[in-house]
Amino acid sequence: MINEILVYVGEALVLIGVFCDIAASIGMLRFPNFYTRMHAATVGTIGGAVVPLIGVALMALGCDWLGTYRFFLAGASIVAGILIMLLAPVGTHVLALAAHRAGLAPKKPLVFDHLEEERARRND
Amino acid sequence: MTRKTLASIPAAILSFVIYLFYTGSLGLFDVITGAIVAVIIGLLVGNIVVENPGKALSIRRGFLMLIYIIWYFLVAETKAHIDVIKRALHPKMPLNPAIIKVPYNVSTDYAMTLIANSITNTPGTVVVDLDYENKYFFVHWLDAKTSDPLKAREIISSKFEEFAKKIFD
Repeated sequence: MINEILVYVGEALVLIGVFCDIAASIGMLRFPNFYTRMHAATVGTIGGAVVPLIGVALMALGCDWLGTYRFFLAGASIVAGILIMLLAPVGTHVLALAAHRAGLAPKKPLVFDHLEEERARRND
Repeated sequence: MTRKTLASIPAAILSFVIYLFYTGSLGLFDVITGAIVAVIIGLLVGNIVVENPGKALSIRRGFLMLIYIIWYFLVAETKAHIDVIKRALHPKMPLNPAIIKVPYNVSTDYAMTLIANSITNTPGTVVVDLDYENKYFFVHWLDAKTSDPLKAREIISSKFEEFAKKIFD
C-alpha cells in the first residue's frame, strides 16, 4: 500500500518535471533576449531537474524488488537534487553578471535599469 | 576544547550525514569509512566554513531551515513557476522586464547567500550583481510591478529575508 503511494507520488513529480521542461524549452525559444531566457532556464533547473529527482527518490523507495539498492538510488538522487539547488544559481548569477558587465546581450525590452545608473554614477 | 576543534564538529556531522545518505546503507563498512572521511573533512574545512560553532549546532536553527525549505518549495517555487510558465505559453507573452535594486538587511555571508540563491532559484527573478557597501541586490525582474526599491523588497525578498535572519544571523 505505502509502496504504491510512493511510486504514484514519484511518478506525478516526474510528470510535473516533464511539463516544466517542455514549458521551459518553449520559453527559451520565445523569450526576446538573454536575460529573459535565463528565467526560462530556471524553470528547467528547479521544476525540470530537482522536482523529478525527488520523484525518482520516492519511486526508488517504493520499489521493493530493488532490494537494498533502493536506498542508494534514493539517497543519491536527493543529494544530487540538493547540490543542483545550491550550485545552479551560482552559474546563473555569474552568467548574468558577465553579460551585463560586457554589455554584449541586447537589453531591449528592459523598462529601467538601476544597475546601469549605479555603474554610471560610480564612474563619474 | 578550543574553538577550532569545536568548529570542526558541525562540518564533520554534515559530511557524515551526506556520506550515509549518498551510500544509502547503514552497514559497518560504510559507517566506519564515513566516520573517517567526516573527521578528516571536519578538521580540514571546519575552521574555514564555520565561524560560530554554537550557531551551527543550534537545533532551533536547523528546524527553522527545514520549515523554510518546505515552505519555499510548496509556496514560493510553485507560485513563481506557474507565473513564468503562463508567460512563456501565453500567445501575447506579457513581459515587463527591468533591473531593480533591492535593499537587504542581513550581516552574515551565509544569510546573503541564502537570500540571493532563493531569489535566483525562483523563476522570474535573477540576482545580477550586488553592492556590499550600501547593501543592495540588483535583481532582473521579469514583471516589474514597481520601480520603488522598498516596495520591490516587499514583493520579492521580504519573506526570504525574514527566514534568513532567523536562521543565520
